[in-house]
Amino acid sequence: MDLSDQVKKMMEEDEPDDDADSFEKISEAFICCICLDLLYKPIVLACGHMSCFWCVQRSMSGLRESHCPICRQPYQHFPMICKMLHFLLFKIYPASYKRRQTQILEYEKEKGSFSPQFDDPAFILETEKKLPRLSSAQESTVSEYDLLSHPSSSSKDQILLNVAPSESGSIIEENAGPNLQIAAEDVESTILSVDEEKKLQQRISSVNCHQISVCDVLCTLCKELLFRPIVLNCGHAYCESCIALPTNEMIRCHVCQIKHPGKAPKVCLELDDFLEEQLPIEYAKRRTSFQLKQDHLQQESSTTCSSEDAPESVYLPPSSAENLLSWWGDHKVHVGAGCDGCGMYPIIGDRHKCKECVEGRNYDLCGECYATGSKLPGRFNQQHTPEHTFEIMRPNSIRNIMLRLLRGQLEDTSAAPNPSPDTTENQHSSLSSDAQEAAGGGPATNDSVNQGCENERLVKCWAESNEPWRSEPSHDCSFCISPRQIEYWMGMGLG
Amino acid sequence: MATTTMNGESNNISNTPAPAPVIASSKQPLAPVKSVDTQSVLKRLQSELMALMMSGDAGISAFPEEDNIFCWKGTIMGSKDTVFEGTEYKLSLSFPNDYPFKPPKVKFETGCFHPNVDVYGNICLDILQDKWSSAYDVRTILLSIQSLLGEPNTSSPLNTQAAALWGNQEEYRNMVEKLYKPS
Repeated sequence: MDLSDQVKKMMEEDEPDDDADSFEKISEAFICCICLDLLYKPIVLACGHMSCFWCVQRSMSGLRESHCPICRQPYQHFPMICKMLHFLLFKIYPASYKRRQTQILEYEKEKGSFSPQFDDPAFILETEKKLPRLSSAQESTVSEYDLLSHPSSSSKDQILLNVAPSESGSIIEENAGPNLQIAAEDVESTILSVDEEKKLQQRISSVNCHQISVCDVLCTLCKELLFRPIVLNCGHAYCESCIALPTNEMIRCHVCQIKHPGKAPKVCLELDDFLEEQLPIEYAKRRTSFQLKQDHLQQESSTTCSSEDAPESVYLPPSSAENLLSWWGDHKVHVGAGCDGCGMYPIIGDRHKCKECVEGRNYDLCGECYATGSKLPGRFNQQHTPEHTFEIMRPNSIRNIMLRLLRGQLEDTSAAPNPSPDTTENQHSSLSSDAQEAAGGGPATNDSVNQGCENERLVKCWAESNEPWRSEPSHDCSFCISPRQIEYWMGMGLG
Repeated sequence: MATTTMNGESNNISNTPAPAPVIASSKQPLAPVKSVDTQSVLKRLQSELMALMMSGDAGISAFPEEDNIFCWKGTIMGSKDTVFEGTEYKLSLSFPNDYPFKPPKVKFETGCFHPNVDVYGNICLDILQDKWSSAYDVRTILLSIQSLLGEPNTSSPLNTQAAALWGNQEEYRNMVEKLYKPS
């Protein structure tokens, strides 16, 4: 197999630093389903599935609502990074996470757009070290539990493991590795074999994994180990039971006060399983106390209102291109513009664009976030401040272009073998009625005069050219867009 | 917004060949596909290749073409207890620069008598079109096509003859054998 050798060689050449972190065995739970690498700046969608910041951003539609790549659950809001997971992953896999950081930074530099920057995790760990450790006692017990959870470990391992947590508890992560190795070598001097050394290496890495403690994975509200964790759109993690509301009120984060769109998120099962595996004793305690509480509640009131009983989302997303037309017709959609407050993407309704954030990415707010005076700095590390002024944007021209685009797309699909004349007919009629509605007395907006004018020209443009989106425009018209532009839009999901 | 500035611009340069009008999407500057994107596609395809070589799924395989990791050749075997049992089909997969955010183009290289495959080898499968998800990979695509073989969607066929014949499995099997030309 010549090529396989070539590929292997290519892989080795491509990632010279791969060896540095190859001893870190990354748990399947933390492999992003899109880039197939360790999650970097993880985002947890409302359905409980995790992905990297850029992977989520790039897989979102921008034209309409997006769907989870794994379960297809629709969502309209770009969630924020889960900082808790971000720091947790850095702690568990320091070398791999550093590699990802470098890799993504390169990507961002070339793109000229940056993900939110947090304080350097290394710095955080160092400051943590200086602070009095509230739970040092608790932590040491946890590490003992970890020991218990590995009945297979021999007495030699126990020596190692005992050394490891007590030291690593007081030093930062990177130093832990060498120290462990020294300890390993001490034991090694008595028993020498290459095989053993390899095993040791593996154990050291598993020790690395065990260095997470309860204080790395606390619920934002109850400050205990997360039990059945859910992550809100703002990126804060809670126990499912801590956030469950008996009423139909909108969920609001207790820390940042940001509203969570839609109903309560689903449990992040991957994280839940990981916690149960890594901190079995603590997790079991949480489970027992939760069940006790549940029993108590059930005794108090016979009518329970569990989250499972919550009514299913009334909003049924349209799936086909035909439905897209109606979606576009009904909503005031701002293609490719996302709200930097609540994360709605694309923005539906009013869009307020910051006049001063012009470098790199725009800063936009939806009508509601603008009204409530969102003070968030921006989802792409924009340097937005509350002093900046806004202007209101019109969605109509782009929306109209999209209507036309869709018409083009529909024709593309019907041009495939076996066209069904009926549906094509319908599409045309629905579209022309749409155009008429747009040209005629569409809903009055702030600048209905201007809009009417534009729509008139849109109709004219359609009349003049059969497929205006396919060729370079022959006449002066703001609705004519090049195929290259369309491909770019469709391809990039309007990034 | 750039959409409205175009009129003025084109007046000024009316004598020059019409430039591609620029409508900046509001969140991203217009730019050709960048090398960083290609890099990430390359990385992902390499990971997939590794995983595929490790997994050893029965009945499917895929490997990049000589010197081009963006073009793969795959094979699927007809599943047991279907009319395609004992047959093997070659497919070509070509990956776009924004894979996995867009699906690869997948075609049968070996002729396949199937309701959802046309004479050119084009496949009508929703997950390769509007139902694509970036969580799919070569493995899941090949497995999906393999199961499509045994469970065609006869309500919207590309090959009407095959769809009509599907009801008679015995005759269908004869037809598959007659038309099967392994390459």
